[in-house]
Amino acid sequence: MTRKALLILAGCMIALTARAVADCRAHKGEHVVLYSTTDDPSVLMWDSRARLRAYHAASFDVAQALLPHALLVGPGTHADVISCIPDYVTSPLFTGPESAVGVIVTSGPSRGAARWVLGSDVRMFKKR
Amino acid sequence: MTNGPFVRVTGTLLLTAFLLLSLGVAIQGTFETRASISNTFARQSQIQQAQIDLEELLRLQIDEENSLRGYLLTRDPFYKSEYRSASAGYDAKESAIHATLQERQLTGAGQLLGDYANLQREWRSSVAVPLFAHPRVRLEELDKRNKLFSDYETMTVAAIRRALAQTGDDLARSTQDELDRSSYARASWVLVFGLLAIVFNAYRSQLNRELEEERSFTRILQRAFRSESTPLPNCDIGSAYLSATSHLAVGGDVFDIYRLSEDRALLLIADISGKGVDAAVLTAFVKFMVRAIALRNSAPAAILAEFNVVLSKAVEDPYLFASMFVGLLDTNRFGLTYASAGHDAIFLRRPEGVIALDVTGPVLGVMDEPFESRTIDLRAGDTLVLATDGLTEVRNRAGEQLGDKGAMEAIAAAGTEAQTLADDLVKRVRERGGSRVRDDLAVLAIRVLRTGANDA
Repeated sequence: MTRKALLILAGCMIALTARAVADCRAHKGEHVVLYSTTDDPSVLMWDSRARLRAYHAASFDVAQALLPHALLVGPGTHADVISCIPDYVTSPLFTGPESAVGVIVTSGPSRGAARWVLGSDVRMFKKR
Repeated sequence: MTNGPFVRVTGTLLLTAFLLLSLGVAIQGTFETRASISNTFARQSQIQQAQIDLEELLRLQIDEENSLRGYLLTRDPFYKSEYRSASAGYDAKESAIHATLQERQLTGAGQLLGDYANLQREWRSSVAVPLFAHPRVRLEELDKRNKLFSDYETMTVAAIRRALAQTGDDLARSTQDELDRSSYARASWVLVFGLLAIVFNAYRSQLNRELEEERSFTRILQRAFRSESTPLPNCDIGSAYLSATSHLAVGGDVFDIYRLSEDRALLLIADISGKGVDAAVLTAFVKFMVRAIALRNSAPAAILAEFNVVLSKAVEDPYLFASMFVGLLDTNRFGLTYASAGHDAIFLRRPEGVIALDVTGPVLGVMDEPFESRTIDLRAGDTLVLATDGLTEVRNRAGEQLGDKGAMEAIAAAGTEAQTLADDLVKRVRERGGSRVRDDLAVLAIRVLRTGANDA
């Protein structure tokens, strides 16, 4: 009986973890490249995930007020993933919720900066 | 004969009117559906055009941004002119699309387009103009604002796309609904038409059956009462009848030859107002009543006068009248005494020509005016032609009546034999009147072969 309950519990945990893994674009420790799919390929990096979420959900004026809390990096900037929260950001632009990805910049003028970016701005980095 | 003519006609008219009304409603419904669907398709086409225009606008916006980037990278003035050209193109296109959206009442998309245009104008003033002015001073703040504008413009364009797509989907759905409704409505109308047609056909069949029964009955009456070919000594007799109303098969024309005695015969032709069974029955009444009166009177004028009285008392119909010719022929001496109550189609064909016999009194059933008798002696070779007004009043294509003169010419040209003459006259009327023949025609021809005096 105890063995059966443990098996069920393990199954549920695996299922939950698998969902979280499936919904996140990147995972802790991965090397990524930042690149936006909007008209401007630069990427805005936010000092908190709440501001990242607010930027995409807010009106233009509110978003403008949030800009001092953002760092702009050019397309192709390298970074390492330190965390990922699935389905965290919603926006009229997206067809569904997007993940928020915490990264540390590893190239360019902002190297070393730890910020939050939108999941869709993250591309997997393929090492040669 | 369960339904009178009024009921038959009214029933047929009502059913026809209902059918026509149903048909009219169905046709109107079809046209309305067509207009509605056509309007929907037109609006869908407008939305598609707006979507195409929006993509063009977006291309112009990207051209503006790329021109700015090109200038910042190269400082080449070419990009400045490209930027101005793209900006002018963007503004013109935006105005055109905005006007079109307003005209097409796509207010949601129009409002979003306004937001989009405002963002672009703000981007120009707060990002593009400062960067064109100081291309070397690339402030991060300006770059971030550029990114912000880009994101929000992308977002707004996406919202416009969604609004247009939603409107298109709604229209497609409403078109489908309209088509469904229209199909159900048409199917219902077809069902109604079908049922009505069945009812109408059944009713018509019943009416036709009743009409055929009446027609058959009328023919029997006609054969029984209208005429009898009573042979007269020394005479060749012919007769013909043409009905102008084939569906009723009988009118009010009657003729009769009746031997009152060995040497005396009654010649009668009359045209009674009315048609159908009533007229057929009346012809029987006329024929036998005149025979009865003629047995007691030796003067045609007296016969007409007495019949006039009897007619007005026997038939209480203020609209009934009759023209009548009564002749008493002495078959020995061939003297003809006659009187004509308003009946003017009586002719005498002689070798030297055709003459018309005079009318000697008014039509019967109208007034109590006296009638007058006339006498004329017939000779061998003479043919007395008694006809009804179907002969003289037949019209040609131009609407001209044949008249007395034309009738006399026709009689002169007709065959010698009495029956041939009668048939020739009917043929002539058919040729002249065609489908325009409106009056029945009765013809009775009596050719004198030889007189008693000649025999002596």
